[in-house]
Amino acid sequence: MHKVLSDKRTILLLVLPGLLIYTFAILFPIILSVYLGMTDWSGIGRPNFIGLENFKKIIFTDTTFWKSLRNAILLALAYVFVQHPIALAFAIFIDKVGGRAEKVFRTIFFIPCVIPVVVTSRMWVSLYDPQYGLINKILDFLHLGFLKQQWLGDTKTALISVIIICMWQGFGWALLIYYAGLKGIPEELYEAARIDGATGVKLYTKITVPLLQPVIKVNFTIAIIYALKQMETVYLTTNGGPGDASQFLANYLYIRAFNSYQYGYANAISVLFVIACLAVNVLFQKIFKSENYEF
Amino acid sequence: MARESSFNKKSRAVLLVVLGLFSIGQLFPLVWLIDFSLCKSGDVYGANILKIPNPPQFINYYLAWRDGKIPQYFINSVIVNVTSVLLVVLFSLMMGYAFVRMEWKWSNKVLTYVLLGLMIPIHATLLPNFVIFRQLKMLDSYFALIIPYVAFSLPQAVFLMTGFIGSIPRALEESAIIDGCGIFRILFQIILPLSKPAIVTVTVTTFLNTWNEFIMAATYLTSDKFRTLPFSVYNFAGQYASNYAVQFAVMTIVALPSLIVYIALNEQVTKGVTLGAVKG
Repeated sequence: MHKVLSDKRTILLLVLPGLLIYTFAILFPIILSVYLGMTDWSGIGRPNFIGLENFKKIIFTDTTFWKSLRNAILLALAYVFVQHPIALAFAIFIDKVGGRAEKVFRTIFFIPCVIPVVVTSRMWVSLYDPQYGLINKILDFLHLGFLKQQWLGDTKTALISVIIICMWQGFGWALLIYYAGLKGIPEELYEAARIDGATGVKLYTKITVPLLQPVIKVNFTIAIIYALKQMETVYLTTNGGPGDASQFLANYLYIRAFNSYQYGYANAISVLFVIACLAVNVLFQKIFKSENYEF
Repeated sequence: MARESSFNKKSRAVLLVVLGLFSIGQLFPLVWLIDFSLCKSGDVYGANILKIPNPPQFINYYLAWRDGKIPQYFINSVIVNVTSVLLVVLFSLMMGYAFVRMEWKWSNKVLTYVLLGLMIPIHATLLPNFVIFRQLKMLDSYFALIIPYVAFSLPQAVFLMTGFIGSIPRALEESAIIDGCGIFRILFQIILPLSKPAIVTVTVTTFLNTWNEFIMAATYLTSDKFRTLPFSVYNFAGQYASNYAVQFAVMTIVALPSLIVYIALNEQVTKGVTLGAVKG
């Protein structure tokens, strides 16, 4: 038994293919990125080592970098304070409605999440279009024509418009995670509370929300990391513009590399980007571990 | 929970209405898209929020299909995705077994190393991988997508597999070993059939992620030959810049495969999405 399960050759055969491909396509590139980040490479020719010059420049003088980070934080706040409360409420509604409708609505709300981001992004570009877009038409219809905008093309509204797309897209995710959390709360707890005289909203504020804390925290972490990683939607709608009004880190490093040919500099941004993501992960894992909720 | 007896019909009706209205709001952009994909291109400029297509312009879909190179891109997407999904399932099953059941000193350390990938953003590897693939003359090939797709799906898949294999009772394997079965027979004849739920979950989540992926495809592919389905939409913005109806038709076509897969495998998707998140 032990002999079969500890055969080194078998273990190597089982683990090696996956491990190699993972190391080749994820870890090795990140290490290469750290090196390239310390060069002034343009993408062609030989890289020229310049030490931490890029990092200094980014941290102390690059306003777009900080703006990208700020935009990510704003998106994260929008997720946490706007999207999530609505998602939680609707998860409770769906759970409560029961029967066939429960499954139907759960399916419907997740549909935007499975549609290719290329489609949803182009679709929203059309929705926001100043000439024929749905958003302006609806404003006209509601006699709110004075609110009509060049949504994605205006410095004032570009970021909020992108944030709205992201919230629309990710709504199903947030909802589904809360919904799964709700399913994990034993029914007896509610029964006990009802016997004690708790009803309606009180049942939710006193039982559901506190018991859901671990799920809420996981969902917050996912949202914040998702905000930090935001790229596709930005790339396909505003490409960070106008100017850097709706810029995000991943998109910014992409532009620096492929539009300005500052490959070294872009890699330095990339490294800081990874550090930011790791930091958020570690920070939130610490917060999780310090508190335990028991069902 | 819920399903309490005191929960009366009236409040259920109110909930249904609220949910119904909100889901209409949530899906309205898609309805709008499909609606105008069947109209004449200029119709979208009218004041109407929706318009009854009269008669429905199915020619838009024909043009989208033909000029969007749907068949060619679709086949590329299938090749890239089927290969990626198969490799992810195979590797994660093998690795999962090695991490959970095999006895070796480095097991935990290597597992942690693989799970570290859960925290690394895909986009951070875009630039270095571009350089590496260029150096290896791998740009513009199926491999340029399959390799990163597999690599990025593995951490999540291994996470799910280790969790699942850990919950399978050892008794079957033990008697198999006593009967003289090798690891590979155990893996493929005992563990594989038992792991079907986990395999389905891994398949569905990997499929949806890679099928919809665009940024890597846009970075690593330079010629038309290998491009995947999302490019149909992307190319159209130029060629049919002002023909919105055909643009909308191509978008509808591209959205369909994932939508069909999702609706068909709804339960598995739900499980896959929530399993990783809630347990993690």
